[in-house]
Amino acid sequence: MGLDYQLVLWNKHKKTYDKVVALYMLIYIVLFASITIIFNSETSIETLVIRAFGSLAIVMLHIILVIGPLSRLNSKFLPILYNRRHLGVSMFIAALIHGGFSIFQFHAFGDVNPIYSLFTSNMDYNSLTNFPFQVLGFFALLILFTMASTSHDFFLKNLSPSIWKRLHMLVYLAYALIIGHVFLGAFQQETSPFTIGFLLIGFIVIGSLHIITAFKESKIDNVKAKKDTEGWLKVCDINEIEEDKAKIFTVNNERIAIFKYKGKLSAVHNVCKHQGGPLGEGKIIDGCITCPWHGYQYLPHNGQSPPPFTEKVATYELKLLKRIVYINPDALEEGTEVKPIII
Amino acid sequence: MNSGLRKAHKYSWLLLIIIIPVIMFFSIKDLMLFESTKKADISFNFSKDIPDREFENDIIKVAFYPKNIEIILKITLKNASSSVYTVDENLKKQKVIGQLTTAGIYTFEINDIPKNIMLFDDIKDVLITQTNF
Repeated sequence: MGLDYQLVLWNKHKKTYDKVVALYMLIYIVLFASITIIFNSETSIETLVIRAFGSLAIVMLHIILVIGPLSRLNSKFLPILYNRRHLGVSMFIAALIHGGFSIFQFHAFGDVNPIYSLFTSNMDYNSLTNFPFQVLGFFALLILFTMASTSHDFFLKNLSPSIWKRLHMLVYLAYALIIGHVFLGAFQQETSPFTIGFLLIGFIVIGSLHIITAFKESKIDNVKAKKDTEGWLKVCDINEIEEDKAKIFTVNNERIAIFKYKGKLSAVHNVCKHQGGPLGEGKIIDGCITCPWHGYQYLPHNGQSPPPFTEKVATYELKLLKRIVYINPDALEEGTEVKPIII
Repeated sequence: MNSGLRKAHKYSWLLLIIIIPVIMFFSIKDLMLFESTKKADISFNFSKDIPDREFENDIIKVAFYPKNIEIILKITLKNASSSVYTVDENLKKQKVIGQLTTAGIYTFEINDIPKNIMLFDDIKDVLITQTNF
């Protein structure tokens, strides 16, 4: 959490994460260059750069796309979600080097604007073998640029987390465009079962993880709770909630997190105001509900971030009858104080 | 995430798992995945007409006809640019008659039969290959 906007909000963990990412990127480039020089020594330096950074960007995009569903399926993967934005920006830089060198090498030496040349040098859209695949890569790069340039809390706050998230879901379109770019481009010229196999397996893994996660989440959303005569909903037995953790309960497709801490119970809306992280999958740390994604904190009894922070989430009323927890499904105004239930 | 975003994720991926395999299938269905490119290219043949002159090396096979030049590019070149120039007696470039991209058969119409032709990479300013009559 930060009060002021900074260009990069680094901390000790993020610096370590970024160093590891940079190191792996460097190792990949060096390995790619060495293997190319050994097995395909005729390759020019420009082609080597284009291929090395293009393939690096694709590998990184695969990693980025599996982080989300993996951390939904298993909380052990949450630490790699913590700094995914930096990984995304690093991937964009690799893609930009690939795209920049390609436009320079293939389109910058004519007498027309390179971007105009990219769109007009090949108009064979009816052909699969000679499809203007560079156009697909260009649009994917534009999406990645939009995402990288808005990967900052300033845009997240000013666009609103929901719009920001929808904007960043364009990465899925970018992924489809990149698959088209590679299959209709590089693979038409240099057919290799290995590279095709890599992307095929990559797609199966990414697609399966996203679909499994989506259906798992739908199942949770579709749970219907029964109201008692006074409109309260039965949640669970008190013993089902672990100390300093929460039970997530679904009401009208929205999730509520009911936390047990220091002999008390409080309920807040499950969606973090920062990036929409699941608060109920976090813990109570230093008396505050702590989002498992990026560590944003809220006080359990009023859903407010501790001063000087200003984020607020909706709160809910609870009651405890014979060790059974009940909730009033009507959300209170964000930041409304509700007296915790004493166990 | 709220319920709307979760649904958006779900429907995006339901769409992608249909679209992406279709792109993959149609783009690789005609590729010879387990055969070398060179083998495939050897099957290219000139048109049935008898050329005035013919030339062949590892990269190209060229036939000069009275009104056109037919070039078979045997392999896809790694050069970013590969322009076809007519060449005079002193092996100097004259004019561009076309450009080659991927392996295949190219036909270029001409007014006068040149002495030779050359394949030239204008970006790197290097000669790729040339005929030698």
